[in-house]
Amino acid sequence: MLDLARGLAFLVGFFFIGNGLHRLGVPIPGGVLGLLLLSGALNLGLVRLAWLQRAADLLLRHMVLLFVPLTVGLMEMGHVLSSQSVALIVSLLVSFVAVLLTTGLLARWLVAGLPSDAEVGE
Amino acid sequence: MSLLDALRHPAFSVAFTVLAYALALLLHRRWRWVSPIVAACIPIVALLLAARIPYAEYNRGGNSLTWWLGPATVALAVPMHRNGQRLRRSLPRLLLVVVAGAVVGMATAGGAAWMLGAPVSVVMSAVPKSVTTPIAVEVARELGGLPQITVALVILAGVLGATFGTAILALFRVREDRAVGVAIGSASHGIGTASLVRRSEMQAAVSSWAMAASGVVTSLLAAALAFFLHLARH
Repeated sequence: MLDLARGLAFLVGFFFIGNGLHRLGVPIPGGVLGLLLLSGALNLGLVRLAWLQRAADLLLRHMVLLFVPLTVGLMEMGHVLSSQSVALIVSLLVSFVAVLLTTGLLARWLVAGLPSDAEVGE
Repeated sequence: MSLLDALRHPAFSVAFTVLAYALALLLHRRWRWVSPIVAACIPIVALLLAARIPYAEYNRGGNSLTWWLGPATVALAVPMHRNGQRLRRSLPRLLLVVVAGAVVGMATAGGAAWMLGAPVSVVMSAVPKSVTTPIAVEVARELGGLPQITVALVILAGVLGATFGTAILALFRVREDRAVGVAIGSASHGIGTASLVRRSEMQAAVSSWAMAASGVVTSLLAAALAFFLHLARH
């Protein structure tokens, strides 16, 4: 429990720092700034992965709960959904296939000569 | 305080949402085809309609759940760091792939909606549709899109990837673990990644790294896009 509280404190703290920087004019969302700062802190060894593990797993495992309220908000978007249905569906399908194939084919070509990382382990 | 007033209390919104989500998870565990997000939303929408509670009122409580998407974004640093360390050797090339995927994803999603005559708010809602929900929502807000529309597109992109992703890739002879992982993570974020866990640990690790990296790259590109749009307007 203490483990979880400590992890959440770190995540919320880095989110606040990110949000603060965002308010000062950095044009990147506060959460992403927090993510980048935390990555930096992890790389420098200032923060240990073990401190965050439980809290991060909890938030990421139950992320669906966190976007339920926004999804419920679709009930007010009926006019947009019906008037823009073709644009939305075509955009979704075209872009999905485009991203999947660009990344898949480019990666197949780029990593072809590289040995597998599997043996590196954790 | 009447019963209807109680239903409008923010604490009730939160409690009911958590309850609906817990039930949805149980249904999903029993029948795998039940989508947790859809199953969680149905009773909430039904209650709001039945009790004539406006969405804005429900969302006073709902917002306090949405707020946690911020710390959840920060939490992506954990899988990114953990899996990034494993991928050290391929990382520079995989990052290049993620950047290419983010550019293509934003351009094709926004471009297709724009060419089909969608208004700017809808175009901007589509632009971040490939990345994980918390980042996509923030990017949509920054660009002047509608976060609710973005959430719907993000979920659908995830479901498409989880259902057809590996089959489409196999059709184009993409079967190498790192290539499959980076493609699914870039196109279908967490929902796609979850579908790889049972297939291959390596694919899931790469996908989980790619979904975080692609979210970061997309928000950087969106900041540049917002800057140019701002210049163009003045």
